[in-house]
Amino acid sequence: MSYTLRGRLESRLAALAPPVLVAAAVHHWWLIELAGLMAGVVLLLDLVYHRPIAYQPGWAAVPLGLLELGCILLAMRLLGIMAPLRWALVFFAASWLWAQLLGHVLLPLARLSYAEDGGELGVALGAVALAALVLPFAAAGGIYEHNLPPVVRLSAGVHQGPLYIRHRVRLVGERGTIVRGGIVVLHRGVTVSHVHVVGGEYGISVLGVKNVTLDHVTVQGATLDGIHVRHANVHVHDCLVDERGMPDGQGIDVSYGMIQGDSMIDGCTVVGGRDGIVVHGSMGMIEHNTVTATKMTGISLVEMSMGSVAHNHVAGALGIGILCGDHSMCDMDHNTVVGTRPDGTANAMRSGIGLEVEFGAEAELGAHNDLVANPRHLGVFLDSTVFWK
Amino acid sequence: MAPRAAIVGGGLSGFVAYLTLRRVGVEDVTVFSPEPDPAAAFRARAAAIRQTHMRSESDGHCLPTSFPGLAVRDAVRRRSVAPAVASLFDRYHPTVERFLDHVGELRRRSGWSPVPKRIERVTPVDGGFDLDGEAFEHVLVATGHPGLCIPEELRGDPRVVHAYEPHDYAESVCVVGAGLAAATEWRNARAAGADVTSVRRREPVHRPLNVPRPFLSKRGLAGFHRLDRRGRAAMLQQMLTPSYPREWETDVRVESHVNGADQIICATGFLRGWQHDPLLAQLDVPAVNGWLELGDDATVPTLTDATRTLALAGVAAQWAYPAADTLMGARYVAHAFARRCRTR
Repeated sequence: MSYTLRGRLESRLAALAPPVLVAAAVHHWWLIELAGLMAGVVLLLDLVYHRPIAYQPGWAAVPLGLLELGCILLAMRLLGIMAPLRWALVFFAASWLWAQLLGHVLLPLARLSYAEDGGELGVALGAVALAALVLPFAAAGGIYEHNLPPVVRLSAGVHQGPLYIRHRVRLVGERGTIVRGGIVVLHRGVTVSHVHVVGGEYGISVLGVKNVTLDHVTVQGATLDGIHVRHANVHVHDCLVDERGMPDGQGIDVSYGMIQGDSMIDGCTVVGGRDGIVVHGSMGMIEHNTVTATKMTGISLVEMSMGSVAHNHVAGALGIGILCGDHSMCDMDHNTVVGTRPDGTANAMRSGIGLEVEFGAEAELGAHNDLVANPRHLGVFLDSTVFWK
Repeated sequence: MAPRAAIVGGGLSGFVAYLTLRRVGVEDVTVFSPEPDPAAAFRARAAAIRQTHMRSESDGHCLPTSFPGLAVRDAVRRRSVAPAVASLFDRYHPTVERFLDHVGELRRRSGWSPVPKRIERVTPVDGGFDLDGEAFEHVLVATGHPGLCIPEELRGDPRVVHAYEPHDYAESVCVVGAGLAAATEWRNARAAGADVTSVRRREPVHRPLNVPRPFLSKRGLAGFHRLDRRGRAAMLQQMLTPSYPREWETDVRVESHVNGADQIICATGFLRGWQHDPLLAQLDVPAVNGWLELGDDATVPTLTDATRTLALAGVAAQWAYPAADTLMGARYVAHAFARRCRTR
């Protein structure tokens, strides 16, 4: 078959339409993501194939299919699509078989001049294929948009808190929005973004609710925790917590959230305070954060927490840079811990240790932790275990 | 005038066109042919040259769609995936016998019954064409090759036989030509124990197919159709130079002139040029280097409009489709003709 570019794309759209419809019908988000990714990758590859493959014999479907599978798996990994591998392979294989059946049997039967038209489907069939492909994504997008919570905009200027959020909303601050006295989130699915919080005992509290997102928030001068999460799960990204000058303050504290699901703290900067980021009795991923000048530990996973600590930069912590303690299970890699200071007591466990694993904790350490200018780079205490990757 | 379609010529091209028209629902189709068997000419030539397998792959069939071709049918019949797999690798070449069975089966199933008449003249009339007294809106002329080509200097020589005429082999054989028929005759004569010499004006060209595969479909055709008259003629000249696949090469003695061999086999193909076909010669169609200048859908532009169609099939349609004298070409022309019959 010698495809024209249009024919190649139209045939591909027709082949993609049923898998996309199946993905839309099966209520798994990963499947919709995978179908979308598959569509994007193979259509992109079609553009690449067009010039070098003037004539495509039937057997070429096998190596091209393997190439496409490889690209899709790679893209899945890069984009972090959490599809179960076995089912992803089944989905791809079924889609590939369908495409072969369609291209070699059904379309040539349905359209007299399919082969000589280089795979072009004509206006009617092409439109049907395009609609079948686009409509599920459009519907999914529409449903997603429809289900988004209402947006509440905070105007620029100072708002006196504390603000209690008892409904599912997206609270969005305009440039220059300041809330004094804190924000308390009491409903699931709330998003707080682009808000600057000043003062209060806790800058932003999330209490007993799930799926809360804190996006581009800054907290300054909270007397206790900058971000205070209890019995909840949150996704905090791109935040700034400044606890300098607050004797009892600490940066981000996620506690008792084990049964609420994973929390994630990603891309935050924490300056000052006692502990920088604490995950206590919870599951969490702490990644791409910068923690500096804390008066105690930089990052802690303690009290039977489970999670990963990766790609963080901790500088100038007191006693311990990154801690995995109290029967927690931690995966630590690609962190940089610089200049941890001894806390000045006789406690050997706080003698300026870059990475510490203590009290029955288990840590899996990668080879890419960069430990610089710490009196002691690694400390393992009290029946703890370290596994090297 | 009743909306009627006619096919002048009942060879394989006409047969493919007939099956295509029936497939798309054109009911009123009249075929004119003195020969009831659409494969008669092919059968005789294949037998003469002792051809055992079709040169083209599974697309070399008479059905209106490319699927299911002979490979799939053969796989089903033999209960073996081998033909289908071979087809995926462009390596399936059905036997001539299998192909002729296929034609016979289609002929029986399709109700093929041409009017036993040779059309002498296609006369344009208002809204259609008059074919020796009968009027039709849409006419496809599929009269095939106009005759066998024997070089002028060899005419009258009693030793001469054309490769496509029935013949046996003498003790010494001189084969004239450098295409697939010549390569076949070298092998045949060798196998018959003859002393073989080859006379040719040029060295053989080795190609799997005369026309490169992209030119069998829109991808290559788009560029071909964009060429100006001179460029298109030059490209046709280049593409249609007789050739054969490299694996057909046979080591034979080459001479520049016909020698004193007992037998001279002219593997020189067919008469080239529309003027050799009496029906085409009457038509007022511009020509470029021997090719009739047709529209891209193989219609005659000056005689085709919104109400009527005159189209050519087979070798006469090479200006529109370089491989028009193949079954793929027959299907291309048939599809284009069917579109006009169906939509107008």
